[in-house]
This record gives sequence, structure tokens and C-alpha cells, in this order.
Amino acid sequence: MPVEIVMPKLGLTMTEGLIVEWRKKEGDPVTKGDILFVLETEKVTYEVEAPEDGTIGKILVKEQETVPVGALVAYLLKPGESAVAITAAPAAAPRAEAASPAPAAASAAAAAPAAPAGGRVKATPLAKKLAKEYGIDLAAVGGTGPGGRILREDVEKAKASGIKAPAAAAPAAAAPAAEEKLVPFTGMRRTIAKKMLQSKLEAAQTYMSNTVDASNLQRYREALLPFVEKKYGVRLTITDLMMKVTGAALREHPVVNTRWTEKGVLYLPEVHMGMAMALDEGLIVPVIKSINAKSLGQIAVDRTALIKKGKTNSFLPDDIKGSTFTLSAMGMFGIEQFTAIINQPENAILGVAAIIDKPVVEKGQIVIRPMMNVNLSYDHRTIDGAEAGKFMQTLKAFIEDPVMILG
Amino acid sequence: MADKTRITIIGGGVGGYPAAIRAARMGAEVTLIEKDALGGTCLNWGCIPTKALLQSANVIQTMKESGTFGIKCKGYEVDFGAVMARKNTVVAQLTRGVGALLKAKKVKIIQGTASFTDAKTLQIRESGENVQGDAILIASGSVPGRIPIEGIDGPDVMDSNQVLAMKTLPKSVVVIGGGVIGVEFAQFLIAMGTEVTIIEMLPGLVPGVDKEIATILQKQLSAAGVKVVTSAAVKGIAHKKTENTVTYTIGDKTETITAEKVFLTVGRKPDFSLLNIDKVGIKHEKGAIVVNEFMETNVPGIYAAGDVVGGIMLAHLASAEGECAVRNILGHREVMNYKAVPSCIYTTPEVASVGLTEERAKERGEIQVGRFPLRGNGKALVLNETEGMVKVISDKKIGEVLGVHIIGPHATDMIAEAVLGMMMEMTAEELAGAIHPHPTVSEAIMEAAMVISGGAIHMP
Repeated sequence: MPVEIVMPKLGLTMTEGLIVEWRKKEGDPVTKGDILFVLETEKVTYEVEAPEDGTIGKILVKEQETVPVGALVAYLLKPGESAVAITAAPAAAPRAEAASPAPAAASAAAAAPAAPAGGRVKATPLAKKLAKEYGIDLAAVGGTGPGGRILREDVEKAKASGIKAPAAAAPAAAAPAAEEKLVPFTGMRRTIAKKMLQSKLEAAQTYMSNTVDASNLQRYREALLPFVEKKYGVRLTITDLMMKVTGAALREHPVVNTRWTEKGVLYLPEVHMGMAMALDEGLIVPVIKSINAKSLGQIAVDRTALIKKGKTNSFLPDDIKGSTFTLSAMGMFGIEQFTAIINQPENAILGVAAIIDKPVVEKGQIVIRPMMNVNLSYDHRTIDGAEAGKFMQTLKAFIEDPVMILG
Repeated sequence: MADKTRITIIGGGVGGYPAAIRAARMGAEVTLIEKDALGGTCLNWGCIPTKALLQSANVIQTMKESGTFGIKCKGYEVDFGAVMARKNTVVAQLTRGVGALLKAKKVKIIQGTASFTDAKTLQIRESGENVQGDAILIASGSVPGRIPIEGIDGPDVMDSNQVLAMKTLPKSVVVIGGGVIGVEFAQFLIAMGTEVTIIEMLPGLVPGVDKEIATILQKQLSAAGVKVVTSAAVKGIAHKKTENTVTYTIGDKTETITAEKVFLTVGRKPDFSLLNIDKVGIKHEKGAIVVNEFMETNVPGIYAAGDVVGGIMLAHLASAEGECAVRNILGHREVMNYKAVPSCIYTTPEVASVGLTEERAKERGEIQVGRFPLRGNGKALVLNETEGMVKVISDKKIGEVLGVHIIGPHATDMIAEAVLGMMMEMTAEELAGAIHPHPTVSEAIMEAAMVISGGAIHMP
């Protein structure tokens, strides 16, 4: 697949950019880091670099044209690809004026809920009245009108699909069906709800994902397994190794190991690794302190102890606070890829998916490798895309060759 | 840079030229083919020239009523040639403007008659030139309708195009067809001093308009001196020297009326007669080109918009359809929205409406109707134009505004508020709650909505 070059988002308030000058023409070979074009926003002029080696396949936006953030501006052909690969691309003209800006990360569903609960819900007067009439919570309804406004039709559809008002607001009589049951919120559920929503509302969350080769990770685990078992009496897991290499990568990129505060970005001298854990009652994040000072065996010991405390509901307050970065692993469910919500006030969280054997191209040959997706959710208020990218690059290097963390 | 999408548009009327400009703005390479005059029916033989003539009629009206305002006006004289010349000046200025706008957007204009050779190619009949495009928009418009009666081809029987080109003012006219076009011509002629009779087949004038509103209009036209004959079927027109006798039947009775000219205003019909659309298999039904909700015909890449697709034949709708079509050509996926299409009649008083009539709304379910007579509106009294009303129709349960109908001064300008509101799915409450400027006739809209939402202020 050709690489899509899009109008980058350089700042939180940037919505569109003007292409001042193309430094490359169609057909020009480029190497990673070459300047492709110069863009201008209301605030800055910026040179956009080639993300990788290749050839400029097609330029879709001319000089002196303004396009929204995320709009496709060119295709970069990777070595071996021909221009035929991009014939399926849509014509440039509609792309250029397509008024709907689709920021790269946020182009998920067409009819996303218009606003989170508690936020301002954009809905037509008629839709609001119908929602009240039907007992439907508008926050859960996707809007298809101008600017995501909820229309009558959206409410009618929501009614048909069974969306209801929040349980607290719904009259008890509204739930007569025998198989329905109302589970009152626990304190924990309320805390989770509050924290998750707050994170989504406050942080400029965006995401970056990479699929990495886990061959060496598995190899080292197998090699260390008997040693750790003998010395510490616990079983070393992939999660332990992931926490270790992530801690090492964070040490290389301090901006990812920070907290958002009122006055500024707080850089933290140590990495305290939060470990997302599912209890029957809900989610909790116990912490492995000073992870970079600990051996893999010690990490496995700490993790085992925390899991035990979780199962017996015997966490001490200290066990579940002070994390500077969180890792959430979903390998046990065979999840291929997922995005986690930032555990505020941290600025990033890593979602570690399952290791799955996949065909990959290596030296021109298709080979089978145990591949693992790692997905970084980060707060763009603090961490710019380039910083996140560098962290992910290091992380990939460490996962693919864990020996590097010794260096 | 990728090649631009090439769009060919047939027709430079209000279905075609705004679409051409929109497409050009969106980066397409546009060719517009027009066989006659830019601006089409609207600018040359419809909306604009008739309104220009009616403005002359309004001046007469003002002079007639001047005494009421304390201004003595000692007679006036109609210079019909000058009335027509002013109309022509207005039309010329607007069509020139359209030409300049198209040129500014680098739209290529071809003067000629288009004819399909294949689904991507049109041939210009006059020059033989072939025009190729990635997509084609047919906006070829409509022509005045005709009815098959004896004497219809007589020398004094004129359609709306011919009426707008006439050199002298007839002493008497029979208008066959009491729709929007017919009543507007009647209004103009009666002000100019011509004897006018409207013959309408249905029981009332302006069929399709809310009955209560149409009745007020009919009364006003009668009061102005227009003779209105309804439920009458025209049987034939007999021409004799300077006279024409129109024969019609009402029930079993046969009657006649004699006049200098006969105006035929029996609607319009879609026109694609010169396009050779059957060659490429474009589907048409009941004389109109068939399109889907994206304004595309059954032949991929060929779209149609405006009068040629039939339905409601109004300039503003044609423009909206044309723009929708080119956005879809250029990669959008937009369903044409017919939710709130206003319609206007430029009589005295003016009539404007949007949405369902009371009759149609009742068929759909329980409704509420808020009426406010202009007698209770300060500005209408200032204008000395208190004949009229505003009527707001809403769904009974939720209050959704289903229709708004206005008869009175500035009705055609004021309806825009209701159009916007209906687009935004307002209920009568919002219409009543919005602060309306005082003193304006528009307050009557607010008051009519208040009747539904909790009671008007200026009505007992």
C-alpha cells in the first residue's frame, strides 16, 4: 500500500493548513527525512518530512491550496510499488473542498454520539422533545445532522434500537421485562465512570499504533522462565517483560512519563508502572514502583503479589496510587488491537495486544512471525506526535531486541 | 495535481448555472451548454420579468391609495412601452451578471443545442462540436404547457413567453388557468387597467395552496376587479378579427366570454425534446426525467435537476437540486432534501408558504393551527395592508411545525424564517419564543405560533 501523506496537525487549535510550496515533484525519489512540502498555518511555517523512503506517487493538493487537517495531500510509493497502486484513490478535487475535516485519529464512526453525558448535546428542538417523550438519553444518540446535530430521525432510530434514558433517570416502571435487572452503581463503578469520562473530556487523546515482532520477547521469556521460577518462585510473563522494556523506553523519552498539572507539565524522575487489572467489580490500576530499578524477577514477584491482593480485595492505599504511566494487556483475550483510555493525570497509556502468528515480509520473503500490536494513547496537549513516534520507535526496538535495554 | 473532473451541464438556467459555479468552486472543469439565454426561464421568461412587471403594478397601487396617506396625486398615465423596457433592463442586467460570474469561475460556455451521442459525449447541433465529460448534468428546464382545445393555436392565444414579449397593452384578456402564473398576470393586467377574467377548472384559484389562504387571495383579486370563474372547463377559442370568444362549461351550462387576448397559463412541462436522451437510455416517466435521491438518472454519471425532473417546478428548488447533483458528482454522497421548499405568489397581497397545508396536515394526524390576522399587527396597519393572515400548523403532540402560510405584505420575504426553522426541526415554541423585531409584519408569525404555544398577545 502506498503511504498516505496527510496535512499534519501541528497544534491543538490547527484545523487547516496552506501548502506553500512542494519541494518534491511527482516521480521524485525521497529518503526518509527529506522535506516534502512547506505548510503554513495561522501561526507557523513548517517543513513536512517524508516518513519513509520511497517515490512521490501523486500530489493531490496544489501549492497555495488550503486543506483541513488530516486531508490527504499526496501518496508516497514505497520501493517496488508502482503508480498503479494509487489509481483507486479518489479524485483530488472533492478531497480538496470536502468541508468535513477528518482528523486522522478521530475519523471513527459517522454518527458518533453528539456529546458525552453532561456535555452540551447538539440536537434539534424537535429531537429534544421526542427524546424526552420517549425517555431517551440524547448523549447516547448519534447525530447525523449538520455538525453532528441530532435530528428527529436519529431519535426515532435510537428508539427503535432500544437506547434508553440513564438508569437513574428512568422510572422504575419503565423496565417491566422479566429478564432485565437494574444493578445499582457501586462506588467503584462510579469512580471508574467518572475517571474514564473525565479523561476523555479533558485530554486531547490521540493514538499511535505499531505491530512489532515478538519473537525475541518470547525467546527471552522462555530462557528466563526456569531461572526466575527457581530464584523467585513466580512465573515470568510476557506482561512482565513488556513492563520492563516499556519502563526502559520511558527512561529514554521522559516527556511520555509526565503529568498534566494546572501550572505545567510535571516531569517525573522515576517510572512507576501502573498495571491495569480487571477485578470482578471493575477496573483497578495497582502500581509497580521504580520499575527501572527492578529486575525482571522482582517485577514478576511484585505483579504476583498485587494480583493476589486484588483477588482478596486487600490493596493498601499505597498499592494503587502514584503510577506515572500505565500498561494495559489484553493478550489473554486474544485481542488483536485496542486503544486504552489515559489514566489521568498521566499523559499516556500503552495497550498491549495478543501475540498472534502472522505472515510478514522479511528480506522479500513471506515468513510467519509472532506479531504483537502495541497502541499508545497519548495526551496531545503534552506529547506531540513526533515525540510519541520516537517513543514508539524506541519501544519497538526494545521489544524486538530486548538485549538493548542493557545498553 | 490530479486531472480535474470534467462536468458538462446542459442548460444555463437556475438549475444549471449555480451548479456550474458550485462545481467550478469545488475544483471541477465545467462546460455549460445553453441554446438560448443564460439565466433560463427564471431570468428571461419567468420569475424576474414577471416580478419586474408586478413592481410597476405596485407603483400604480401606491398612487391609487396615496390619498389615504395624505398625499394628493393627480392621476397617472401608463407608458406600457416603458414598463416593458424597464423589465428588459432588469433582465439584461441579471443575465449579464450570470455571464460574468460564470466567466470569473472559468466555466466554458457553449452557445448551442446539446444532443447525446453516448453517455459521456454531447454533440452541439449547430457546430457539430463534440463535448466530452466525466459526468453530465441535465438542467434543460421546461416549456409552457398547452391544452388540446379548439382554437389553441389562434393568433391571439399567448403563452407566458409571448405575454412577456408583447408590445401593447390589451384592453381585455381571458386568462385560462388560475394557478400561480395566471393570478400574477391577472394582478399585473388589472393594475394596468385591462379587463381580466380568469377561468380555472378546479373549484378555487391557486390549487395546492392552503385553502383558507387561497380563499383570501381570490377575494382580494375579485375586489381588485378580476372576474374569477371557477369549476369551468374551457371547450374552445373562436377567433374573429380583433376578438376572441372563449367557450367554457360549468356543470351542464355552457357559457362564453369575449376578449382581445387569451393568455394560456396551464402550468409548465419538462423539456428534453432536443437532447436525444433515448439514445443513451435515460429513463423518463410522464414526461419527466427520472432521478434517484442523489439526483442521478438510471445512467451512471448522468444527473438531472430542476424543472426537467418534474415535481415542484420552482427556481430555488432547481438551484438546490443542481448543487446537490454536482456535489454528488464530485464525490459527496448527499441526499436531496425536500423537507422545506417554500413557494411564493407575488400578488397583492403576497402569498408565501412552506410545508403542509392544513388539509394535508390533517390527513397525517392530529394538528394544532395558530392563526393571526394582520388586523392585529401594527406595521400592517402602518402600511395600510391589513388584509391577510399568518397561519402556523404544528403537530399536536410534540409541536413540530408542519407548515407556515402567510398572506399579506412582505410574505415572500418573511417565509425564509419558517424555511430555516423547519430545516432545523423547530417546534411552535421556538418560533413563538424567538424575539421578533418591532414593528414588523414578521411579528405576526411569532403571534401565530404563540396561539399554539400558549396564546397570542395581540389578540383577544
